[in-house]
Amino acid sequence: MRDTLVRADPRSVRQKPGRSQLIRAAVVTVLLLFTLFALPQLLSLYYIDTMTQVAVYSMVTLALGVLAGRVGLVSLGQVAVLAIGAWVAARLLFATTQPYPVILLEAGLITMVAGVVTGLPALRLRGLYLALITLMLAGAITVVLATVNFPNGGHGFLGYNGSLVHIPPIRRPSIASNDPAYFRYAVVVAILMFLLVLAHIKTKPGRAWAAIRQSEPAALAAGINITLYKLWALALASFITGVAGGVLAGAVHYLYSIGFPTQDSITLLAVTLMGGVYSMWGAVVAALLYQFLPALLNNWGVSADWLTILFGLGVLQVLTTAPAGLADQVPRDLARLGRLLRRRLPQSQGQTK
Amino acid sequence: MPPWSDFEPFIVSGLALGGVYALSGVGLVVLYRATGVLYLAFGAVGAMGALIAWSLGRENAPGWLTWLVCIAAAAAITLGYGLIFGPALAKRDPLVKAVATIGLTLVLYGLMDLLWTTSGGEVRSLTLPSDNGGFSVGQIQVNWTQVIALAAGVVLTVGTGLFLRYTKLGTAMRAMANDREITATLGVPVRRVEAAAWLGCGVLAGIAGLLLADLVALDATTLTFLVISSLAAVLIARLRSITITFAAAIVVGLLHDLLTPIPSLTNYRDMTPFVLAAAALLVMPRRQVMAQSREEA
Repeated sequence: MRDTLVRADPRSVRQKPGRSQLIRAAVVTVLLLFTLFALPQLLSLYYIDTMTQVAVYSMVTLALGVLAGRVGLVSLGQVAVLAIGAWVAARLLFATTQPYPVILLEAGLITMVAGVVTGLPALRLRGLYLALITLMLAGAITVVLATVNFPNGGHGFLGYNGSLVHIPPIRRPSIASNDPAYFRYAVVVAILMFLLVLAHIKTKPGRAWAAIRQSEPAALAAGINITLYKLWALALASFITGVAGGVLAGAVHYLYSIGFPTQDSITLLAVTLMGGVYSMWGAVVAALLYQFLPALLNNWGVSADWLTILFGLGVLQVLTTAPAGLADQVPRDLARLGRLLRRRLPQSQGQTK
Repeated sequence: MPPWSDFEPFIVSGLALGGVYALSGVGLVVLYRATGVLYLAFGAVGAMGALIAWSLGRENAPGWLTWLVCIAAAAAITLGYGLIFGPALAKRDPLVKAVATIGLTLVLYGLMDLLWTTSGGEVRSLTLPSDNGGFSVGQIQVNWTQVIALAAGVVLTVGTGLFLRYTKLGTAMRAMANDREITATLGVPVRRVEAAAWLGCGVLAGIAGLLLADLVALDATTLTFLVISSLAAVLIARLRSITITFAAAIVVGLLHDLLTPIPSLTNYRDMTPFVLAAAALLVMPRRQVMAQSREEA
C-alpha cells in the first residue's frame, strides 16, 4: 500500500521524474548496453559461459525474491522447479521445430502449472508449510530425475535413450548459436522477465502483495483475496523459473540429473536472501554470488566448500542484522563510510577545495 | 507384484527407520513448540556428529567414547546455535527462524564437505556392535540395531510425552508453546527453558545421526537431507502432536522400505515423504486450518 501513499502526496503527483530517477534510469541503461555489447568482447569464453549462467540464475533468484520479498513466501525447492522447466524445454526442443521463444513460453507455462499444483495445498496454511513442502519437492524431484533422466534425443514421452552413443546437443536459437550471441540472448530474456516483474510490482498485484506481506488480517479486511494473490505470485515465480530452465537447456547443450541436487535449492535461497529480496538489484547480486563467485574461486583453485560456509554465515547475518540484503547494505555502508571519512579528514578535504 | 516373503525383511528395516524418524520428529516438534524454531539443521548436525565419531573410531578410540562424542558434538552445536541466535531471532516470524537454521545447515554442510571430502571415492561406514547380534522372527533376521532404533523411537516418544505432562520443565515448555510473553511474566526463566529444549533436541539429533549412519549410510548429503522424512511426519502432525508425529514417522519409514521390492516403484521410494505430506495437506480439514491460522495470526 506504500505506492498509494506516495501517490496521495500532491507534490509527487504531476511532477516530472526527479533527478535521482533520471540518474538511475541512465545508470541502468548504460549497464545494460555495457553488458550486451562490451562484455562479450572483453571476457574469455570461460567467463562468457559463466555470465550466461548468471543471466539464467538471476531469473531464478528474481523469482525467489518476488516470493520472499514481496509476498513473504519462501520456496526451498526452486532448483527443482528450474529442473522441471529445463526438462520440459529440452523435451520440446528435441520433439518439435518450434522457434525458441515459443518453447521458452511453453516451458514457462507448463512449469507454472506444476508449481501452482504443488504449492496450492500449502497456500491455505502459513508460510512455513510452503517452505516445507517445497523442500520435500526438491528432494522428490532429485529422485525422479535420477530415474527419468533428461531427454537426450530418444523417443517416447520421456525422450531418453540410455543406449544412445551420439547424443545430439540441445539446440539453440539460430540467431544465437555461438556463446557470445547466446549470452546476449539470455540477457535479453532476463531483462524481459525483470520487466514482467516490474509491471506486476507497479500495478494492482504488487500493491496487494505489499498489503499481504505487512499483515494478512489487515489485507483480508481490505478485501484482498489473499489466496488468489499468493497463488498469482507463486504462478509468476514458477513461470519465470520455467523460462530460466528453458534458457539453461540451450546454454549447456546437455542436461544431467546430477546438475540439480537438493542442496542447490537451499544454497539458492541463501544467496537470494544475501543479495536482498526487496530490490531487483538483489537478484543480480545473488546470481553473481551463486555463479560468478564459484567460477572465480575455481579459477584460483579455492574449494567451493568455503563458499557454502560463507553463504551459510551470510544468511544468518542477513536475517539477524540486515533484512534487505547486500543490495541495500553495501550502498548504505559505503555512504556511512564516506561520511565517516569526510568527518575524519576535514583538512585534506579543505585543501582539495 | 512380488510374493509377500519379499516384503518381510523390509518390514523390519522400515520399522527401524520409522523409529529413528519418530525420535527426530519428536525432537523437532518439542523444539518448535518451545522456541518457535523449526530446526532444519537437524540432519546436518547429526551427520556432523556421526562423521566426528567415525574419525575418532579410526584413531582407535573405544566405541562408547565415539558414540558419546557424536551425541555431545550434536548437542553442543545445537545448544550453541540456540544460545546465540535463539534470543536474536526470538521475536521474528517462525518462517524467518526456520530459514536461519538453513544458514547453520549450509555452514555445517560446507565444513563436512571440506573436512571429510568425498571426492576420493572413499566409502565411510559406521557400524555399531549391535549389528552383529540378533534373532529371527519366522524367516526374518532382525539385528539389535534395528531393535534399538524402533525402541528408541517408542521410548523417546512416550518419555517426552510424560516429561511434558508431569515435570516442571515440561510444563514450562508447554506454557511457552502457548504464549512466550505470558509465561515470562509468570516468572518462568524463559531463556533457561529454551536452552533445555535446544539441548534436548541436539541430543536427539546426535542419537538420530548415529543410528542413521549405521542403518542408511555415513554420507554428509544423505544424512543432511534425511531430515526431510522426519519433516514430513512433523508436517502431517501439523507441528503439534507428538503422537501423530510418531505414527506418521513409522508410516513414512515403513512405506519407504516396503516399496523397495516392487520393481516399478523402487526407484521412486524416496518420494514417499513428499507424497504423504502433500496428501496430508490436501485432506487437512479446512475448518481446522482456519482455526489454526486464527490462533496463530
